[in-house]
Amino acid sequence: MNNDIPLNWFLYFAAASFAIGLVGVMLRRNAIAVLMAIEIILNAANVNLVAFWRYGPPAPGSGPLPGVILAILVITVAAAEVAVGIGLILLCYRRWRVADVDRYDTMSG
Amino acid sequence: MASILFLVIAAIGVAAALGTVLSRNLVRAGLYLVAFFFAVACLFVLLEAEFLAAIQVLVYIGAVAILLMFGIMLTRDTLGDDTTAIPIAWMVPGLFMGLCVFAVLVVGINNSIAPSGWSPWEGTTSRPSLAPRESEPAWIAERREAVNDMPRVIGVELMTRYVVAFEVAGLLLTAALVGAIALAHREDVEPRAPRATARAAETGPPPEAGEPVASSALS
Amino acid sequence: MAGVVLDEAWGSALAFAAHSQPVELNLRTWLRWALWLVVGFAVVFPGIVAYMVWLERKVAARFQDRIGPNRVGPLGLLQPIADAIKLITKENTVPRSADRIVHVLAPILVLTSAFLVMAVVPFAVGLVPVDLPSGLVYLIAVSSLTPLGIFLAGWSSRNKYSLLGAMRAVAQLVSYEAPQVLATIPVALWAGSLSLVTIFDRQLEFGWNVFSPPGLLAFAIFLIAGVAEVNRTPFDLPEAESEIIAGYHTEYSGMRFGLFFLAEYLSVFAVSCVTTVLFLGGGTPFPFLGFPVNLLGDSTASLILVNLILVTVFLLKVLFFVFVMFWIRATLPRMRVDRLMNFAWKYLVPLSLLNIFFAGVWYEMVIRPGRLTFGNWLWGTLVTGVLVVAAVYLIFLLNRKLAEAKPIGADWPSVATAAAELAR
Repeated sequence: MNNDIPLNWFLYFAAASFAIGLVGVMLRRNAIAVLMAIEIILNAANVNLVAFWRYGPPAPGSGPLPGVILAILVITVAAAEVAVGIGLILLCYRRWRVADVDRYDTMSG
Repeated sequence: MASILFLVIAAIGVAAALGTVLSRNLVRAGLYLVAFFFAVACLFVLLEAEFLAAIQVLVYIGAVAILLMFGIMLTRDTLGDDTTAIPIAWMVPGLFMGLCVFAVLVVGINNSIAPSGWSPWEGTTSRPSLAPRESEPAWIAERREAVNDMPRVIGVELMTRYVVAFEVAGLLLTAALVGAIALAHREDVEPRAPRATARAAETGPPPEAGEPVASSALS
Repeated sequence: MAGVVLDEAWGSALAFAAHSQPVELNLRTWLRWALWLVVGFAVVFPGIVAYMVWLERKVAARFQDRIGPNRVGPLGLLQPIADAIKLITKENTVPRSADRIVHVLAPILVLTSAFLVMAVVPFAVGLVPVDLPSGLVYLIAVSSLTPLGIFLAGWSSRNKYSLLGAMRAVAQLVSYEAPQVLATIPVALWAGSLSLVTIFDRQLEFGWNVFSPPGLLAFAIFLIAGVAEVNRTPFDLPEAESEIIAGYHTEYSGMRFGLFFLAEYLSVFAVSCVTTVLFLGGGTPFPFLGFPVNLLGDSTASLILVNLILVTVFLLKVLFFVFVMFWIRATLPRMRVDRLMNFAWKYLVPLSLLNIFFAGVWYEMVIRPGRLTFGNWLWGTLVTGVLVVAAVYLIFLLNRKLAEAKPIGADWPSVATAAAELAR
């Protein structure tokens, strides 16, 4: 019990990754780079989930593995989102000939 | 020893995330992202969820990263607009904003209010031990069995307690599959803009501009 | 089956549950792992792979009515050493506009993935480098690193042929991962666990997995998908030597090409090992007997004897599968890329999905009673045999109807068009 990893180290890592991902979503102009930053954010949330599952108090009525199951569902949703996102980016690329999110500025045409 | 391991992996993870966000070359950014995914998988192993680590490598590195690489390849800029770099004027405000967000989160972590009977999270310096003892609460035994035999317990949980979430996730995946195919399907070429058709009337059908040669190998 | 998870002092004695005993991170374990790494992964496996290359050249030569390498050493046995020396002393060229780091990283990724597959294979009792409770998922996870490495190789070479080969390779590998994974699900269902050691143990009681109709179908699908996963003929379009120069490893020379070469043959070896463990019961010589594991007493001598028998038989079976892959390469022509994808998605995936149901039927009939009896086995074989044959026939029939209604762009007349021509 003496040289285990404190919980808040995991939380700091997740917070740092979340902040970096958020900076990426805000600053990057290339649509694929924005998707990559979104994936970083989702992974940070997953680390949070599993860390709290392992270290924290058990939630009554939710079984032995709530954090892990929720993390698996988040991974599933993230994969689906990337697939649809790439499809959308390809469509936008066909329309505007660039993968620049600043140019995706009209819904008509 | 575990702390040193965690520090090394976390440092690699944060460096990889920074590399993803700041890198100019998109393929390099993708590789940094793969390193980040791998660091997160190592963290899952440290948290005793090896099955989740395998799933993370399988789904993220084995599928999402490849999909992103394909996306990079198919959307290379052909008009000469460089979209891959962050504009210099945005760098300092952006990083400042990132630091502020991180500071807010750190303040939140350090001043957490704990559930009754548990120490606040900044005071949780070690995980609940799962070694068998004589008098232990029921959840410890359950959790020990879960961590020992995680695939089986995940299967049981997904089929009993979380079956609705499981089915909804399946529905979501099916919708994403159909949606992605419907979005990218190109069998009937959509009518081009009037400008282009007017030009086509003079010079003949325009070549398929903007679509890389290599992608025709797959269509 | 589960052992203790955690000790009080987590840092000093990390214990995670292995097959039936916890693994402690003490000196003995480190020594074991170091031995596996240095002896097994650095010496034995590359040695086996080098002589697999020699074997392939000899076998292919005999199939083509010639002799093969016989100049360097007796029977050409020193040929791999000569090849290695040649590759090492060749110049490592990197195209000028290529991304240097990615160019170097790609073969390392592919080779790492091939090595990592070998880390969970049980060669004998207790002779498994790491026994993970989720071994099958780990296998799928590391074999999904290969498409990434191949894509990076093709992309970083800045060469149209490389890119073409890489895209074809990734499409093929990702498509054939689905039937490969689905074919291992019956095996996991019957064993009740994802650990390869448990699968091996379960086959000691219930016979080899291949001696059951769903297992036979799963074995066939797994083998075909495995051949596709390692880019061997008839699925070697990515490195089609006569079509796109050398595909994704066009721009690689010297030892970097040697790494790709090593990775391919190591993957062949790894896929053969995994097939043997999953479907042919590892190193057991006879299908339905527990021999020689039931000879396992408490003495080290019995352990050594049993393990010797197991390892020998295991290597013989792996050699057989490797020979089959060489045989197929010498015999069959290459598949066209759209037919290849067609085969994966329209034939193998539906078949492997249906196979899961049949595996459930087999489980209920044969495995749930707890002991293998001949009557159960016979009834199970009859029922699932009929189901499997019907499913295969149905899938092929449906695909034929589909192909007649909407033919793929064939450049030779199909049956339907020829009939239409005759009728006119």
